[in-house]
Amino acid sequence: MDKWRQLSPELRRKKIIHALQTIGAVVVTLVMIFPLYWMLITSLKTESEIVTMVPTFWPKELIFSNYVDAWTAVPFLRYIWNTLYVTFWQMLIQTVVGVLAAYGFARGRFPGKNVLFLIVLSAMMIPSQVTFIPLYVLIAKLNWVDTLSGLILPETVSAYMIFMLRQNFMSVDQSYLDAGRVDGLGILGTIRYVLIPMCKASVVTVSLVSFINGWNNYFWPKILSKSPETRLISVGLAQMKNIWQDLSGTGYYNTIMAGVVISIIPVVILFAFNQKYMLKGYSKNAMK
Amino acid sequence: MNTLATSTPAPGTAAGVPKKKKRRRKYKKQNFLEFLCTVPALLLILLLNHYPLVELVRYSFTDWNMLRTDYDYVGLTNWKWLVTTLKTNHVLDSFRVTILYTIAHLVIIIGVGLLMALLFNRMTKSFAFMRSVIFMPHYIAMSSVAIIFLWLCNENYGVFNYLLGKIGLGPVAWLSSPVMAIWTITLTASWRGVGYDMLIFLSAMQGISKDYYEAAKLDGASSVAIFRRITLPLLAPTTAFLLVTQFISSMKVYGVVDVMTSGGPARSTEMLVYMLYQMTFEDYRIDRASVIAIVFFIFLMIVTALTMRWTNRKVNYDA
Repeated sequence: MDKWRQLSPELRRKKIIHALQTIGAVVVTLVMIFPLYWMLITSLKTESEIVTMVPTFWPKELIFSNYVDAWTAVPFLRYIWNTLYVTFWQMLIQTVVGVLAAYGFARGRFPGKNVLFLIVLSAMMIPSQVTFIPLYVLIAKLNWVDTLSGLILPETVSAYMIFMLRQNFMSVDQSYLDAGRVDGLGILGTIRYVLIPMCKASVVTVSLVSFINGWNNYFWPKILSKSPETRLISVGLAQMKNIWQDLSGTGYYNTIMAGVVISIIPVVILFAFNQKYMLKGYSKNAMK
Repeated sequence: MNTLATSTPAPGTAAGVPKKKKRRRKYKKQNFLEFLCTVPALLLILLLNHYPLVELVRYSFTDWNMLRTDYDYVGLTNWKWLVTTLKTNHVLDSFRVTILYTIAHLVIIIGVGLLMALLFNRMTKSFAFMRSVIFMPHYIAMSSVAIIFLWLCNENYGVFNYLLGKIGLGPVAWLSSPVMAIWTITLTASWRGVGYDMLIFLSAMQGISKDYYEAAKLDGASSVAIFRRITLPLLAPTTAFLLVTQFISSMKVYGVVDVMTSGGPARSTEMLVYMLYQMTFEDYRIDRASVIAIVFFIFLMIVTALTMRWTNRKVNYDA
C-alpha cells in the first residue's frame, strides 16, 4: 500500500485503467465463451439432468454415452464423409480455378481484360440465394439433384477468392517473374515456383476459408440432398433436432449437443493450428 | 526456386536482337495463354451466376409451377400478382422483417465489435488468447450455432431463463413470442459474427500511425477526444467495408431462421430467402418466387450502390 501511495496520481490512474481493462476483457470473454461451455457441459449430462428446473453448471455425473448415441442414432460417419468429400473438392476446384484466373487477371496482357474482370466482380453481387431456383433447375437437368456432384457444383468458383489472389499476385515485383521466365518457366511454372511461394500465406488462407465455408454451408445441402446417402453434417444435425424435438419435450439436447461437438472438431483443429495465419489473413484481406 | 537467386537481367537483352516479328508472335502466344488461364473461371461464373439471373427473368414471365415440366409464357401476370395482392401476400412483411433484422444485426456487430476492439486492444499473449476465443464462433456453422442457442433459450429448461430468473426477470418467451423471436435470432447471429468485426477493427487500429496519438497527447487532448477525433474518423474506411459486405450477407440470412423458428411464430421471422425457399419447394410456385427474387436482387443492388456512394463521400482515405 505504501508503494501505491508513492506513485504519482497520473500513474495511479493509469494502473487503475489498466486493471479495469483486464477485468472487462476477462468478463467479456467469459460471457462470449459461455454458449460453447454450455454446449460441452450439456453433451456430458444425463437425460434426467438436463431437464431439472435448476440447471447444474457442472454435471453431477459425467457421461460420454451421448457421443455414442449421436454417432449411432443417425448415419453420422456417412454425413461426415459426405461433408469432407464435398468440401474437399469444392476447395480444390475453387483454388485451382482461382489461382489460374488470378494469374491471368493480375499478370496477363490481353485485349478485354478489364471487361472480363468486371464480369468476375459482378458475380460477387449476384448471391446464390437470389439465383437458386434456376441453378436448381440446371442441376436437375444434369440429373445431379441428390448427388454429391450436384452439391459440389454451385461452389466451384469464388469471385471473392479470385479478387483476393489477384491483389496479392499484383503486388509481386515483375523482376521475379522475368527472372523465372529467363530460367525457362512457362505460365504454370511461374505460378507454381514463383507466385504461390511468394504469396503462400494468402493462398493458404483463402483455401482454408473456402474449406470452412464449405464445411459450414447449410443452404445448398438443404436444397439439394433429399436422402441420407447424400446428407451433409449441417443439415443432418438440424434434422436430428427437428425429429427429436417432436419425439420428446426435452428434445434429447444432450445427445444433439454431442453431435454438434463432433461436427465442430475439424474446424476447431484447423483453427488451432492456423489461427495466427488465419487471423492475419482475414484482416489483411479486409484492408484491401 | 534456387535458380532465381542467381538470375540474370531482364528478358530480351539476353537473346540479343531477335527479329521483331518473331518476338511479337511469341508475345501473342503468351498473351493468349494468359487469357486461357481465366477461361475456366469465366465459364463457371457465367454458368453459375449470370446465366441463372437471365433464366430467373425468363421464369418470371411464365406460369411454371415445378409439378409440370412444361410451361407457357403469361406476360406480366406474375408481376401483376405481386402488385395487386401486395396487402395479402406477405412479401412486404418479409421485406420489413429482413430489413429490421439486418439493421439490428449490423448495429450490434459493428457497434459492439468496435467497443470490443477498444477493450481488447492490448498486445499481450493473454489478450491474444482471449481474442481468438471470441473469434472462434465465426468458425462454427450458423446452423450449429442456432441449435446451441435453441437449447440456451429453451423456455422450460434453458439456462438463459434460469439466469434471468435469478436476477428477478423473465421468463422470456424467446421463440414463442412473435415480438421476441426476431430478437432471439438477431442475438444468435450476432454472437457468431461480432468477433470478426472486432478483429477487423483491431487490425485497422493497429494500422493507425502512432504519430497522430503522440501529437494529440502533446496538445493535451483527452482520451475521449482522441478517440472521437482520430481513431473514429480513421476507422471510417473499415466501417464502410464492413457495412457493404455484411449488409448483403445479412439480407440473405437463411440457416438460422430455418433451424430456430421455421419462419414462425405467425410468420414473424419469415425472412426473404426463407420465403423464397418455401414458395419454391413447398408451394412449387417457381413463377411467383422468381418475381420476388428479382425484386430482392434489385433492392440489394440499389442499397449497395447507395451505401458505396454515401461512404465514398464520407470516408477519409488518408490513413
